[in-house]
Amino acid sequence: MATNHQQIQLQLDEKKDKQRKIFKIVGLSVIYIVLTIWAILTFVPLIWMFISSIKDTTSITQVPPQLIPDQPTLDAYRRVFDVGGFARWFLNSVIVSTILTISNVVLASLAGYAFAKLKFPGRNTIFWILLGSMMIPGQITLIPLYILIVNTFQMADTYLALVIPTLVTTANIFLARQFMASLPSTLIDAARIDACSEPKIFWKVILPMAKPGLAVLGIFTFVANWNNFFWPFLVTSSNEMRTLQVGLTSFRYQYTADYGAMMAGAVLTAIPMFIVFLALQKYFLKGITIGAVKG
Amino acid sequence: MSEVRFVNVSKEFEDDNKGKFTAVNDATFTIEDKEFMVFVGPSGCGKTTSLRMIAGLERQTSGDIYIGDRTVNKAHPKDRDIAMVFQDYALYPHMTIRENMSFGLKNLKRPKEEIEKKVSEAAQILSLENLLDRKPRELSGGQRQRVAVGRAIVRNPKVFLFDEPLSNLDAKLRVQMRMELSELHKRLGATIVYVTHDQVEAMTLGTRIVVMNQGEIQQIDTPEELYKNPKNMFVAGFIGSPPMNFVRGRLDGNIVQTVEHALVVPEDKLLKYAEYQGKEVVLGIRPEDVINIEHLPDAPAQNVIEPVIKIVEHLGSEFLVYFGIGEETIVGKISSDYHMEVFKKHQLYINMEKMTLFDPQTQMRIG
Repeated sequence: MATNHQQIQLQLDEKKDKQRKIFKIVGLSVIYIVLTIWAILTFVPLIWMFISSIKDTTSITQVPPQLIPDQPTLDAYRRVFDVGGFARWFLNSVIVSTILTISNVVLASLAGYAFAKLKFPGRNTIFWILLGSMMIPGQITLIPLYILIVNTFQMADTYLALVIPTLVTTANIFLARQFMASLPSTLIDAARIDACSEPKIFWKVILPMAKPGLAVLGIFTFVANWNNFFWPFLVTSSNEMRTLQVGLTSFRYQYTADYGAMMAGAVLTAIPMFIVFLALQKYFLKGITIGAVKG
Repeated sequence: MSEVRFVNVSKEFEDDNKGKFTAVNDATFTIEDKEFMVFVGPSGCGKTTSLRMIAGLERQTSGDIYIGDRTVNKAHPKDRDIAMVFQDYALYPHMTIRENMSFGLKNLKRPKEEIEKKVSEAAQILSLENLLDRKPRELSGGQRQRVAVGRAIVRNPKVFLFDEPLSNLDAKLRVQMRMELSELHKRLGATIVYVTHDQVEAMTLGTRIVVMNQGEIQQIDTPEELYKNPKNMFVAGFIGSPPMNFVRGRLDGNIVQTVEHALVVPEDKLLKYAEYQGKEVVLGIRPEDVINIEHLPDAPAQNVIEPVIKIVEHLGSEFLVYFGIGEETIVGKISSDYHMEVFKKHQLYINMEKMTLFDPQTQMRIG
């Protein structure tokens, strides 16, 4: 009797195990299918951009569209460089993004450290005001900012106009404060007892520990400024001062548009971002979790 | 001379939740040269704040602090000739052990040879020679603790400050480090100020102990005096494990009358209790002064009670037995040579020779 009972029990257990396995497989399959569709949806525009960039001018607007061009050509790329200015736009983008990355890393880390670790009157009030300013939509500040930079300071069409408004952003100060707050305060106390001056504490103790956080901040800032279109579009007018994103609009004429060149330009613009992303993937992931509550 | 002196020192904090509160209230004391002074008390009693004020990491709201013969009220930590070991060790994670230990001396711009010599000496004292080129994350808790001590030693300061340095270690390592710290004190001959919430650590390490509660100094004394002659019920309840038992009663003649028992006070003690005749008192009895009558065949008939034992905890060489007197639960520490049974009556002798009486209103010791 006992053996029979045990056998039945074993069979029941096996059945349950099988059911569990099936549920697991079905569950995983659903997740993979959803993620695959998501990946395809994300990837299609990029692939379309690349395919369009190697089509000739007639096949690019053909209906129905060619998924794989009959005669792939690099003509569009040639036109990008022939029109003139691409190299300069690229340089402008590099200059603006680099300056803003450096300034944001330096200023946001200093401000973040002060808000997280130093005691001074009004610290919380100032921080809350800064946080409050993050809630004002960019569209509201755009016109006053434009008037300030272009009319009052007469900076239109200069590098200063491109960089001054975002030398340091509130979002970056907030991000820096969050990871600075996670560093143990006793290290600062220990450094004070170790006869370290306040600037040296920041330089020798805080900065080395804040490196991963600052890397995230730097990468995000670089990518955001590289992809920025609207502000450079507003404050630049000459061909020499355009950044890549603004430059790409030059391929749109009054009645026509050179879509091939636009796509080729977009591919060339995106390449540095791909490299940055692939090289620094782990920091991107870290960036998503900074400020998140640990479980 | 490296004595530390507090004169009417107070520290107030502004806290978002608590509002304004006093962490240390009007503290006056002297830590003698070469003394091992331990600050002990529950969380938030002001012991760490006192230590941080000596270090210069917090500025006192009022009063004066002296290290040696000069005031250090406004002195920067680096100018106080102190070194500190933190609870979490506070080792710089990006520096090697050698760099951690030499960081302070480098900042003080000492010659390179001197720095190397001092680091290797400290490493030798603490058996850290083989770890000097490692990073803190590669070390165990005990090794990190040693590095933190080493970093303090190389400074050769007048005063060492320890902020609960053993609380992150496991029980076995804590006992070992306790011994090492005690030896280190003898070897260095320096003044040590040590903060802990663990009264065992305080009793074993301190030449004197400052007991604090809610920002107030309760008593400053040697471990033995604190144990035998606590100034008030807080100290009596805080020092000793398990703590002293308190039973309410009335002093009538030579008797302390509790709810259930009449306990006889020794003649020689009666004089100092004269003022409290006929008044309410709190009787304090240490757990080891509750003795199984079987241990004392010649015990006097008086002061023997026969309670029902509620709980017996086995500690190996002894039992902790719990029983009630009125509404109070009393604990006795009794040798495990004789069997004790739960829910049975046992004859227990209360050693009134070592009792203490407290005023129930002021909670201060009587006499």
